[in-house]
Amino acid sequence: MSTSSTTTTTKPALPQDSPQPTNTPITLLNTPLAQTYTHIHPILLLSIYTARFSATVADPVSSLSQLAVVTAVLQSVYAVTCLPPTSEGSATKNAEGASSASNGSGGKWTKKPARTATRKGSLGARIWPATLSLLLTPPLALPPLTALAILLGAPLTTHFPHTLLLSLHLALLSAFPVLYTHGVSARTWRGVLGLMRPVDEVVGGALGALLGAWLGCVPVPLDWDRDWQAYPVTLVTGAYVGYVVGKVAGGTVMRGWVVSFD
Amino acid sequence: MSCYWSSSPGSCCWHPSSFSKAIVILVDALRYDFTVPFTPKDGETAHHYHNALPFLYATAVKQPNNAFLLPFIADPPTVTLQRLKGLTTGTLPTFVDAGSNFAGTAIDEDNLIAQLRTAGKNVVHLGDDTWHALFPDYFDPDLTRPFDSFNVWDLHTVDNGVNEHLFPLLHPTNISKWDVVIGHYLGVDHAGHRYGPDHPAMTAKLQQMNGVFHDLVNAVDNETLVVVMGDHGMDSKGDHGGESDDEIEAAIWMYSKKGIFGRTSVSSLTPPATAKERPVAQIDLVPTLSLLLGLPIPFNNLGRPIDEAFIGAKGSDIGNLALANRVTSAQIHRYQYEYAQARGLSDESRSTSLDAWTKLTEIWDLNQRVILPGGQDWKGIYTAAVEYQTATLEICRALWARFDVVSMLHGVEVLALGLVALVVYARGINGDRTELTPLLLIRATIGTVAGIVVGLTLGLSIPQFQLIHATVYCTAIGGLLGLATGFYHIRNRLQSPIPSSAWSWTSLMLPVALSAGFAANSFTIWEDEILLFFLNTFGVLLFLSSFRQKSPVDRTIGCTQSIAFTVLTRLASLSRLCREEQMPHCRSTYYASANSSTSATWQLTIPFILTLALPAVIKTYFAQTLSYQHSATFMVGFILRLGLALTALFWTLDAADDGEWFGGSTQAYLKTVKVFVAQVVLAIGLAAGYATFGWAAPLLNIREERNSSATELRSASQPIETGEGEAKSSIIILGYANVHGSRYLLLFIPWLVAVILLQKPMGGGAIGILAWQVLSLLEIIDANQLADTPVGPVVLGLLGSFHFFKTGHQATLSSVQWESAFIPLHYIRYPWSPLFVMLNTFGAQILCAIAVPATVLWKAPPKKKGLLGDVAKAMATHILFYALINLATTMWAGHLRRHLMLYRIFSPRFMVGAIVLLIVDLVGILVAVGGTRWSFMSVADVFGWSSVQ
Repeated sequence: MSTSSTTTTTKPALPQDSPQPTNTPITLLNTPLAQTYTHIHPILLLSIYTARFSATVADPVSSLSQLAVVTAVLQSVYAVTCLPPTSEGSATKNAEGASSASNGSGGKWTKKPARTATRKGSLGARIWPATLSLLLTPPLALPPLTALAILLGAPLTTHFPHTLLLSLHLALLSAFPVLYTHGVSARTWRGVLGLMRPVDEVVGGALGALLGAWLGCVPVPLDWDRDWQAYPVTLVTGAYVGYVVGKVAGGTVMRGWVVSFD
Repeated sequence: MSCYWSSSPGSCCWHPSSFSKAIVILVDALRYDFTVPFTPKDGETAHHYHNALPFLYATAVKQPNNAFLLPFIADPPTVTLQRLKGLTTGTLPTFVDAGSNFAGTAIDEDNLIAQLRTAGKNVVHLGDDTWHALFPDYFDPDLTRPFDSFNVWDLHTVDNGVNEHLFPLLHPTNISKWDVVIGHYLGVDHAGHRYGPDHPAMTAKLQQMNGVFHDLVNAVDNETLVVVMGDHGMDSKGDHGGESDDEIEAAIWMYSKKGIFGRTSVSSLTPPATAKERPVAQIDLVPTLSLLLGLPIPFNNLGRPIDEAFIGAKGSDIGNLALANRVTSAQIHRYQYEYAQARGLSDESRSTSLDAWTKLTEIWDLNQRVILPGGQDWKGIYTAAVEYQTATLEICRALWARFDVVSMLHGVEVLALGLVALVVYARGINGDRTELTPLLLIRATIGTVAGIVVGLTLGLSIPQFQLIHATVYCTAIGGLLGLATGFYHIRNRLQSPIPSSAWSWTSLMLPVALSAGFAANSFTIWEDEILLFFLNTFGVLLFLSSFRQKSPVDRTIGCTQSIAFTVLTRLASLSRLCREEQMPHCRSTYYASANSSTSATWQLTIPFILTLALPAVIKTYFAQTLSYQHSATFMVGFILRLGLALTALFWTLDAADDGEWFGGSTQAYLKTVKVFVAQVVLAIGLAAGYATFGWAAPLLNIREERNSSATELRSASQPIETGEGEAKSSIIILGYANVHGSRYLLLFIPWLVAVILLQKPMGGGAIGILAWQVLSLLEIIDANQLADTPVGPVVLGLLGSFHFFKTGHQATLSSVQWESAFIPLHYIRYPWSPLFVMLNTFGAQILCAIAVPATVLWKAPPKKKGLLGDVAKAMATHILFYALINLATTMWAGHLRRHLMLYRIFSPRFMVGAIVLLIVDLVGILVAVGGTRWSFMSVADVFGWSSVQ
């Protein structure tokens, strides 16, 4: 999920096989608030992260825990004000499925046909999906992201809270907006994981966050003896910077591009 | 000044001798902290190597006039042969000489032993036979007893031999037969290599040495000087070779019954608690011993006399000490003068030394001419002489690391051009390489021969050119030029080698990032972790790519196998052997403890788990394409399984031998039996395995089907419709879909058996994981249709480099597992012993190189055109990976030649890179591509194809 986006920028050709129902980039809500807040949001995220940076360096666990709450709130606000929620299942459907999702069969329940139409226009119709996506983000995204971090070399026996917090921040930046806009159907996620979805704000931000965290590993082994080199400060920093860059690029210059491996 | 040029003893300014006889005992790898009492700090408890050798310290404290004990600092490389050169000539070593530890050539510089002989002294040598390579025919032929030094698993033969012959020499009836005895004990060093310092065997060895010194002191007479010293220390695992503190900190102890030793100050009454205080250099032995025995100091000495030996019993004889230092300074000055003349050194480059000399001369002349009030200023002379010696040594250390920049640039040039040629061949040729390769080879050969001729001519005719340099350089350039004309000839077949897809970009950028990282010492130190990161980055990308596959079978295989691949990488990464620079952020797991080089008891289960699991795992990969039949059942089910079972038996016997599970006579048999078992494994693996590979038929079987119910077989098989009337009956060739891949992969097994045998149990586990990873990689590549991309060869390059670290190696001299030569042999035997060490050290890279053709052949369509050309392309890409790393490490080592960490980090990495490239070249071309051809012929034979390619 990480380096591929360095090499993604080939052609805006759509993939041949299209397992996901929608093949178009996400369009922002057509409200003045949405159009404004989408620009304020990254500035807000980075400003808060920068303001808390020295505290994060001093005590990563407590600072990153607090920061996770702030990021969760900001991402929810961003989702509710700017992004269209998933069209595949209604709020009521999601509520029904929440219990079965917790025992790991998240893919199945959204396949049932939607009973009620989603009223995208109303704020209330977006708060429900946002809340549910936020609640689903830890159980769905934390295990695979933590596993990913450990597979790529995060400490196995020590620093577990650090790794968990890194994964939590990555989940809030990358998985949460995707869950909110695309739902949890297996077909959609096959498209997302196969990097077959065209790049937009959400996909761009997710790829950027993961790539940023990947690049954030680079300074860790250097012998500069700086406090901020301690795991996982540079990785989380990379994730935030990468998210903002990816989100902005995905919403503008790279919008509509599709990752091509071959 | 007149006697400054005179070097004959007894002339006006020579130092009177204090002793007529000497016994010099060298205890190999006697680290300083072995000899001083252990003082616990922050809850640390004593290790096995502590407090086991108290005699040296006790005598130095109780009889300060008879004995002193000091830290004795070695100049790296800390290998015995280099140390002996330093200890006898008093000069600084050059690093690259370390390789000649195994083929010592006679010293041609002036040295202590030569001076002893010239002075008519009879020198007897007992112990390590390295001395005889350095000083052939210098020793008394009747009394001398050399012993083989490389059998590191033998702790006692050498030591007992030295004892047996040393003590009779001290008997009054024999005392007149010799003047100097050199005894070289190896047991401590071997205990370190075999078990590590923190092991009861080390305690026993040090206690034995303690007893030897005790008896020695009782036996010697008044006229004899006793010196006990270590030639180097050992690192936390008991190995040495590098320049870490533990490796350079040895001990020196001098003893005499005369009681002429003293201390320069009250604070130095007891020996230093650590080697960081009041250390003396190993080159200081040369002037000290020379002056104590009344010999001329060897011409090229740079050391200075040890204070304690000359200050006198009361510690007040500053005059004697000053004279000793002044004599030594004169010798050093004479040497430096000659050296500067010979090398054409400017005076500016050694100005601090010359200034110090002027000062020394002034104060000396002043003292000679006039009687100063209050006697002569010995203190001033002493200080000036020490200052001069220190300044000179400092200059020599900086100056003597001489770099031949022209040769370095030429070397980098050849490597870079070679890399370009390889890039063109590997990625820049359109279509099949098979028909082009002979043409390119012929052109390159013609160019090489022309280059040799030109080089020889230039070297012989132009005096400014060195013959060897000119020949080597012209040969390389000639070969490359010949290749270039070949490329020009086929120019219409060339294409841009610049990557065109995301996969080829990734395959290029990760190795480039790795190579760029070698410019920083941190990235070089942490290479093992970086390789884990890069490998699993590839693994994750392959996992994501598998989601894109249209066929559900490909998707499932791709996803599950890439999960297996990444999890196995992470599992293997738990096997770690930390290099010193990684501390304290790293914990070694390769051996029982950080202070050991034996396996922990739980690690003994690994060979047994391998025996049970590995053949079963490999079988499933053959079985997937119904190829597990005929020779495969024999190779995997018998050769591999038996080889692994016997390897497990070997390590059990080894543990029984180490742990002395059985007493008495059984113990003696263990060693013989375990070596025999290892030889059987090699015979089964390489001999029987290769024979099986050679004679194996393709892994096919034929089944007649009466109905078409067996559709599940079809994906992996070739149905041939018999077509006569019924049309329901067909003949199915089982295993057809992977006929090339499965046939070729048989070659992997014999090498796998041999490499696992030569690893420690933990390393065997890592290699087992490597084998599984190779197979899962083959499946991933097939599922993602990546056979034509550089992904396979590059991932195999990363995988080979990664498992180099996971089999207990690091890019340092001290991590070479020399003892692996003794797994299948009792003694050093050429050429086998070096080959075994190579298979131990570079086993992972060798196996990965052998696996490269399989990335192309695995499930390839049997009649696909140009398969051999594709294999050549993949192999060239694989070699390209190592060539890039070799070029980068060479460039960085050259560029950073004045870096503080040159010898510690950059040079060893450069050497590893060069050796690996050479081995992968040989194995890749001879074993892998040769094996591919052989395997093709056997397949073509069966189907009656004239040739597949």
